Formats: sequence, structure tokens, C-alpha cells
Amino acid sequence: MAPLLQAISIGKTYPGGVVANDGVNLSVSAGEVHAVVGENGAGKSTLMKILFGIERPDAGTLLLDGKPVSFTNPREAIEAGIGMVFQHFSLVPSFSVYENVVLGAEPRNGIGFDREKAIAEVRALSEKFRLHVDPLPAVGSLPVGQQQRVEILKALYRDARILILDEPTAVLAPQEVEELFVAVRALVAQGRTVIFIAHKLPEVLEISDRITVMRAGKTVGEVGSSEVTEQSLATMMVGRDVALRVDRAVTAGELACEIKALWVRSDAGQPLVQDLNLHVHAGEIVGLVGVEGNGQAALLDAISGAQPIAQGVAYLNGTSLGPLSTLERRAIGVANIPEDRIAQGLAGGASVAENLVATKLADRRYVRLGLLDLKAIKSNAIALIERYSVRVGGPAQAVSTLSGGNMQKIVVARELSEQPKLLLVSQPTRGVDLGATQFIWKSLTDARDAGAAVLLSSADLSELLALSDRLVVFYRGRLVAAFLNSAALTPETLGSYMLGLATQTEDEMKVALR
Amino acid sequence: MSTMPTLAKQSRWTAVRAEVQRAVTAILVALLVTVIVVMLTSKTPFEALNTLLTAPASKPRTIGLWFDDVAKLTVTGLAFSLVFQARQFAMGVQGQVYVGALAATYVALSPLGPTFAAIPLGILAAMLAGAVWGFLPGIAKARLGANEIVSSLMLNYIAIELCNFLVRVQLREKPGVLTSLEFPDTAVFPPMIPGTRIDLGLVLALGATLLVWFALYRTAWGLKLRLVGHNARFAEYAGIKSTLIMVSAMTAAGALGGMLGAMFVQGQTYGKLTVMFEGGLAFEGILVAIVARSRPLAVPVVAIFYGYLRQGAQLMNIRTDVPAEVIGVVTAIIILLVSSSFSIPGKAWLLGLFRRPAPQTDAAVDGAAK
Repeated sequence: MAPLLQAISIGKTYPGGVVANDGVNLSVSAGEVHAVVGENGAGKSTLMKILFGIERPDAGTLLLDGKPVSFTNPREAIEAGIGMVFQHFSLVPSFSVYENVVLGAEPRNGIGFDREKAIAEVRALSEKFRLHVDPLPAVGSLPVGQQQRVEILKALYRDARILILDEPTAVLAPQEVEELFVAVRALVAQGRTVIFIAHKLPEVLEISDRITVMRAGKTVGEVGSSEVTEQSLATMMVGRDVALRVDRAVTAGELACEIKALWVRSDAGQPLVQDLNLHVHAGEIVGLVGVEGNGQAALLDAISGAQPIAQGVAYLNGTSLGPLSTLERRAIGVANIPEDRIAQGLAGGASVAENLVATKLADRRYVRLGLLDLKAIKSNAIALIERYSVRVGGPAQAVSTLSGGNMQKIVVARELSEQPKLLLVSQPTRGVDLGATQFIWKSLTDARDAGAAVLLSSADLSELLALSDRLVVFYRGRLVAAFLNSAALTPETLGSYMLGLATQTEDEMKVALR
Repeated sequence: MSTMPTLAKQSRWTAVRAEVQRAVTAILVALLVTVIVVMLTSKTPFEALNTLLTAPASKPRTIGLWFDDVAKLTVTGLAFSLVFQARQFAMGVQGQVYVGALAATYVALSPLGPTFAAIPLGILAAMLAGAVWGFLPGIAKARLGANEIVSSLMLNYIAIELCNFLVRVQLREKPGVLTSLEFPDTAVFPPMIPGTRIDLGLVLALGATLLVWFALYRTAWGLKLRLVGHNARFAEYAGIKSTLIMVSAMTAAGALGGMLGAMFVQGQTYGKLTVMFEGGLAFEGILVAIVARSRPLAVPVVAIFYGYLRQGAQLMNIRTDVPAEVIGVVTAIIILLVSSSFSIPGKAWLLGLFRRPAPQTDAAVDGAAK
């Protein structure tokens, strides 16, 4: 059977000379789930943008139903039956679900908006494809998983035959991923075709029929999901053998950070963290588990000084952190790898050397009598670039010109250049390729082994399970479960606590809250 | 490793070259439009254009006028560069010029006026007054969240009217004259080149250029200021008190603005305080700073070119039937072209003309940046 959608030797070079796609081939048959996998920067997103008419290829052809097509904008792609759900949703938060779905293609009666009909159609669609969501509430009030369903419904409402999902699982809890997969199967059963972009391999193997692997802008190959294992797929993606395993902490040391009855409130006074008690020992990594926005970030902010502690205390080696400024906290050994390196962790327009020294402007090695020691700043940068093998032209290069992985290495290098006593880490490998991930994980465990107490928050459960010695689960600002990490602990177990479906008793938690 | 510094140097030079290219192209495009406008409006277009392009350099006296402008444009350009680098949009240089001029006037007309201390004290008083005028919108933003654009613009009006009021009621020479008494000679900057208006102001401007460059690129304060400008959230995260930096940047820029006030009234051009003496020059610092990309060392260079056009336009106004406002066309086009970073979409558009239409979206630029 001829493929439904075919891309033949697609080439795309961005202005500035970045070759994003170079002879890429993709062939998707009707009624299949076709995964496209690859590291960050492999060119998956560019290929999808070309399929959806956001980008135009410099070379190659697109065939839809065997006929050549060329989209100049997404509207044309939508008319041809292609729908796309982006990682970052484009929804109007204050509008209701059904309004969002029909927006721009509203059913009418005369000149008016036929709301009854819109609601009925959205209901029918969500029944048909098992995408359960109530059409009436405002989208802003829904959890992320449901918002994603609204996005999918939007595409289906416009009669998408081919649905492109760009890393749909990145924002979901495990249970929500299961529900998404149910919906995807329902879509395929009713004759729709799904293109699934991902880099979490177990999910890819579970949901897809065939897999196209991309690496460095080229297609490496196409395989049937049943023919490959996770390991062989990873090797195809990276081009060499990868071992993403880390060694556990040998022993936990002295109590380093003690958090007692801690409350953190938002600017509006809403409690973000409620009555939290937690001990972190030197030489251990404590994983903070939870769906985003359940208090993990607020806890890290309160300890780093980005947000005030509303009530309670946090000690580091006996010193109360509350009254100290951010700089004073850094001086007694708090280091912080923030969630969003571009928004918070770096000054993009400033040079690599300046970024590497930005937290040390009270240090006599770099600043004396208010004057910068440019030589020391430069040699600091050269040493760190070398030690963390950052791919960069030189210390004077602007940070914004680096790739995501190299940017993150700059943050990690700065924060770990002095051995920290308490290391706060949030999403250390978000948007970072496998090679850099491996390196960053190693850096974190090295810091741990050198005696740092580490608090780690991540949206990626496999990362938390790989790195943590203990895990605590947040739900609505409270700790609802605590575990000692072991091979028996699964994402599914954590997931039911993350979604508030289960709560441990105090005695159960006590075991892991040493 | 050994090739790294040279690589970095190369990339810095390509960046500088790209900026220069951009600025030169902007000026050429703006001149082209000016030529068209003059051709369409003037009865003697060639004479007018000739005046615009050659008159400033024709005589020592006009060269003097030109470099007097260069000094003043440099200082206002530096003041704007400082606040722009901290990503503050304080527009208060004009007000600082007026309060600085008032302070310098009070020193010059005081018993200290006829002494040798009149020049340094006048400059110092002007800088202090300007610093206060720069500090006010800064502290209002830090403490009360007042938008610095609005508050600094309002302070400009207060300063201008205050100056008008004082000239009318207190400082005037005689009823009906809107100028103060002439300053004693000891309070007026001596000319550097006799017979021209080039005076101590040019030295002050060059000194200020070096000082601002040093402060921004060689001191911890300057690095903090630039980090706040690049990303205030990052600065806070790194333990830099961004509000303190912001207020101090606006205060330092205010001192420069105040000094410009002293350069006006104590300079060869005036030697006294008159109402509305500044003639809108302070705001042209925005253009200078934008074209110079807020780089202090580039500010005097831009000021030389822009000052030439400005002087040419004024001479054209006097000698031909084309009004000086034509320079407004030049200014507006340069600002539009430079501030919109026209070369990137422009290039794609030109390429597109020769090949086939290639839609350029933000996503493309984002993607390329990754």
C-alpha cells in the first residue's frame, strides 16, 4: 500500500548556517502510529514544522496520498488534513473548552455563534475518540493532561487525518500518559494516523507501530517497533553505546539540611508549601517527586532565597537560612541549578566568562576594590570550559549562541566549581541531549560523593529514579509519601501518589524520612 | 585550546563589523530619503544638499560648531547608554540638563563666580543636581513600582518650567529679557582653539567616555549592571541586588546629564542661562545610544557622524529654503532601521526576491538560535 504521507530527502538550512535537516526521509502509512525519535537537535521539530507548513524545506518533496504537496502556512496543512499538537499549548485560558475547540471554525446559526451545537459537537468528538473532557469549564482551570486533550480535540474538530504530537508525554504524569495512549489507540482504530515525537524510549516502544530514527539532521533508519529493544534504539539515536546508569551513594553522612514546619506562600498569599519537614544528609540525593506546581519548585526557591520563607525554618549545618540574602546563602555553601536556564540560570547576552563568574562577584579572587580581575575571570572560564568539556569558541563568546546542552553545562560548571554543601537542582537535563545528560548526571553524583546534600526536582521520573537515594512525593504543597529508592520502586507507584490518588500514613513515611 | 582566544577575537570583530555595516547602511538609506525629500520640496535642491553635506567642514567656525555638538551629543549618548545597558528606559537626561544648568548658574553668579573655583565647582554642582534628578525616578521605581519612563518624562517638564520660572523672576538680567546675567569670565570654559566654540566640554566628553567604559567593563559594578540588563531574574538568582544597581545606574546617568547642563551654560556658546537653551539636543542621545548599541566607546564615533548631519541641517536651514526639521526625517529613519535590526529580515527578503518567496517566521529565527 502506498504511504499516506511521505517526505523525500528533505533539506533545511536555517539562516545562520544551521543544517537542521539534510536528506531526511519519512514514510507514514495510513492508520499507524509512527514515532520519530532522536536526540535534541536531531531535527525532529524542524521536520514536523515542515510537515505542518510552518517552515518551508530548501530541498526535497512532500507527498500526500502520493501527490506532491507544498504548504506555505499551517492553514493549508490543516485544510489538507494535518493537525499538530505542540509541546506548548496554544489555548485561551479564560475561554471554555468548547470555545477553544471551535475557535476560528465556529458553527453558526445565521450570524450568531451556535453554542448548543458547538457543545454537542465537542461532546460527540470526545466520546468518539475517548478523550474525556467536560466542554464547559474554562481551559485555564484544567490540569495539563486535560488541556492537551483539548488541543487534540481542536485538531480533530478540523478533521485532521494525520495528527502530529510533539513530545506529548513530557508534561504528563504516568497515569495521564496511559490515558493519552488509550486515546491514541482509539484514534488509530478509527482510521486516523498519528505521528508521535518523543525521546522517552519505553513509551515509544509501547505506543508506536514503526519508528523513524533521526540523528544530527539525518534519518538513520526506519524500524518496526517489535524488531528493536530500548538499548538498540538508544544506540541508533546516539550513534554509540550509552549506559545511563549511576552508582548509588555509598553511605549518607551527617545531617546537613534540616527543614522544619516550613510554609511558603505565593505573592497572592496562596500556600505553595505547607508544613514541610525534611532532612537531607551530606552525600545523598533526595528526589522531589510531583506533578509540576505542587510545591517542589517553591521549596527550592525558598531555600535558595528566590522566595521568602513564610513560616518555619530551614537550617544548613545549623545556620538558619531564612534571614540570609541569596549571596550570603551562596557563601555558606548553597548552590542552585535552576529549572529554566535561559530565564533564570544565565544572562544570554553576556559572555561565557561573565556568566561563570556572576555568582562570585564578592570573591577576592575575581574582584578587588571593586575592580574586575579580567585575567583571573578568563582563566577561570578556560579552566571550567575544559573541565566540563563545553563546546564553545572561547570565554568571550555570548552564552546565547550555545546549544541547550552546552548552556546547561555552563550552569552546572558555575554551580559545582566550588564544592557545595547543599545543592539545589531542578530539571537538570530538560532539553539536553543524551551525551550531555550522561555528563551532567555524573557531575551531580560526583558532587554528592564529595559530600554535598542534594535536593533534586525533575519532571522526568526516570531521572529521579536513576539519581535519587530517597524520594519524597509532593501533592498540593504537602508531602504525601516518602520512599527509599530501590529497583522495586516504579513510576506507576509514584504516579498514584503524585496525582493524589493515594497517601501514605505518617508511620509509612517515617521509614524513609530519616 | 590555543586557538580559542583568536577565535573569540575573530567573532568579536565580525560582530563589530556587522554593527558598523548596519549603522552605515542605515545612514545611507536615511540620506537617500533625505535627498528625495529635498528634491521634491526645495527650489534650489542642489544648493541645499551641498550645504547639508559639505558646510559643516567648510570653515574653522563651522567645524567648531560641529565639534561643540559632538561633545554634547557624546555626553547625552553616554547617559542614555548607561541606563539602556541596565535595561532601564529612563528618559530624564533633558531634565537633568536643566537642573544641572541651574546649579552651575547659581555657582557662576555666586561670590565664587569670579574665582578660579567657579569652573570645577560649577561642574560638580551640576553633576550633583543631575544625579538627584536621575535618582528620583530610580528610587520611585524601586520603592513604589513607578514606571521610570513616565516619571522621568514628567520630571523633565518640572525641570524645564523650574528653569523658566527662575530665569523670569530671579536670575534675569533686566525685565523682558529671558536670560540670566552673563557669567564672569572665570566661570566660562576657555576655548581650546581660539575663535571656535570648542572648549573644555570636548575634554569632559572624552573623559566621560573613558570613565563610562571603564565603569562598565572593568568594575564589578559595571558587570553587575550589564548582568541586570541582560537578565534581571538571573541577576537576582546570582545574588546581585538588581534594584540597587538600577537606582545607581540611573543616578550615575543623571550626573552625566547634569554635567551636560554645565557644558551648555558654562560653554563658549552661552556663558549664561537662557530659557529653553537645550533645544532638544538631550533627547538625541537616544539616537546616539541606539546606533552605538549602548557601547560607550562607539558613542563618540556615532556622535561625530550624527553631529555632522545635525550641523549640516542647521546650516541648510539658515542658508537655503529647506528647514532644519528635515534632519528629523534622517533621525527617524536611522532609529527605525537600527532599532528594528533590519539586516536579518532585510537580507532574507532580498534573497527571497532573487529566488522564490520564502516566508520568514519567528520560529525560523528561534530554530536557528537553537
